[in-house]
Amino acid sequence: MSDHLLSMDEMKQVDDYLDRGFKIHNVYENLSGMFVEFERQEEEVCLQIQTAEARKYFAAKLQEQTQF
Amino acid sequence: MADLRIDLAGIKSPNPFWLASAPPTNSGYQVQRAFEAGWGGAVWKTLGEPILNVTSRFAAVSFNGQRVAGFNNIELITDRPLEVNLQEILETKKKFPSHAIIASLMVEPQQEKWHEIVKKVEAVGVDGLELNFGCPHGMAERGMGAASGQVPELVEKQTYWVKEVARTPVIVKLTPNITDITMTAEAAVRGGADAVSMINTINSLAGVDLDTWNTVPHVGGKGSHGGYCGPAVKPIALNMVAECARNTFVNVPISGIGGISNWQDAAEFMLMGATGVQVCTAAMHHGFSIVEDMIDGLTNYLDDKGIASVMDLVGQSVQRYSDWGDLDLNYKIVAEINNDVCINCNKCHIACEDTSHQCIDLYTESGRPMLKVREQDCVGCNLCSIVCPVDGAISMVERKSTIAPMTWNERQSLISNFAR
Repeated sequence: MSDHLLSMDEMKQVDDYLDRGFKIHNVYENLSGMFVEFERQEEEVCLQIQTAEARKYFAAKLQEQTQF
Repeated sequence: MADLRIDLAGIKSPNPFWLASAPPTNSGYQVQRAFEAGWGGAVWKTLGEPILNVTSRFAAVSFNGQRVAGFNNIELITDRPLEVNLQEILETKKKFPSHAIIASLMVEPQQEKWHEIVKKVEAVGVDGLELNFGCPHGMAERGMGAASGQVPELVEKQTYWVKEVARTPVIVKLTPNITDITMTAEAAVRGGADAVSMINTINSLAGVDLDTWNTVPHVGGKGSHGGYCGPAVKPIALNMVAECARNTFVNVPISGIGGISNWQDAAEFMLMGATGVQVCTAAMHHGFSIVEDMIDGLTNYLDDKGIASVMDLVGQSVQRYSDWGDLDLNYKIVAEINNDVCINCNKCHIACEDTSHQCIDLYTESGRPMLKVREQDCVGCNLCSIVCPVDGAISMVERKSTIAPMTWNERQSLISNFAR
């Protein structure tokens, strides 16, 4: 998969979780990229974001969540 | 017509173009001819205890047919007695009272030696002093030049000694052979410098002769490192000027030096914070008359922009120079190829395919070879437009980002504040 398609896919996954009512609960980065923990009531999921474009996109979403 | 006069820490000159302390300012004959040609000022070749030089002294780096892309020298400071130089400075100043003559000075790091030479030089009417803490070769082996200029404490102390007796403005000339030039610039300011100038030459070896295996240049089969200057060093010098200009502790005027070859280079240095510029290599390559084009070009540029005085250029771009961490991660440009202008050399495709992000596709349309950028994969690196030999064939165009601006520093702050 091209970087562009992979980043589109990762951004879509971020949007999907947020659209389904998940909130960003935790985020950390390491050599493998960014790991985002989403939380909805008792449910928790962890999403790995590898592409640079999606990591930028996620930061914008995180900012939105902290502002509203 | 725009006013080209400058005032650098109280040193006034009819235009911002000074000859740097170097072979072109070795004698009164040369400096007077330079003033007749139109140069606004001259920093006299460094005065100190007369030295001995070797032959040969210079070497140049040519690149793809461009002669003197870089220039290397192992010549030292003046080899003439101080009194001879002072007499010629006196005569030159009498003939050209409105032109700036600055004496470049270098002595051992001792208070009495600095006091002695400052008093003698100022007695003949120089407009200012430039302390040579930058010369990287020869003199540095004797504890002077760059050897002093690489130690902030020595820069501060020697500047202070000079200021104890100086009556004219003191410019401290800094070496680029240091990790962070703002450290020594700040030291100069702490010592009382009225201005700083940069850059002196960069440690270099021009080359090795593949037939003889001698260094270039060599002195009877032996070589030593020299000082590199000329067009190749301009980006290094411009960055150092800009770093000092945006440093709040370096709150003195800057005289910009390093690869300045035309009026455009001069304007760039002034926009990045230099109040005036010093030129050497371009004059050594083309002669003193190049200043005519510099004066005409700068005047026309200012007139076209409706700027009344060249001093109004100084520092205008400094606020646009920042840290990487303050750049917007979401700003987006992409390459756009104009196939009507493209000559199908395919250099952009090769460069992108081999060394960048593989986003320029080759295809044919009505039997004609064409190139197209896949925008979604283009990272806006500029490489294709850099290697393209045809003006207008590739443009870098802005694309509105769908996400709000955010810098790396803002992003890191956001994430670290959020992480549990």
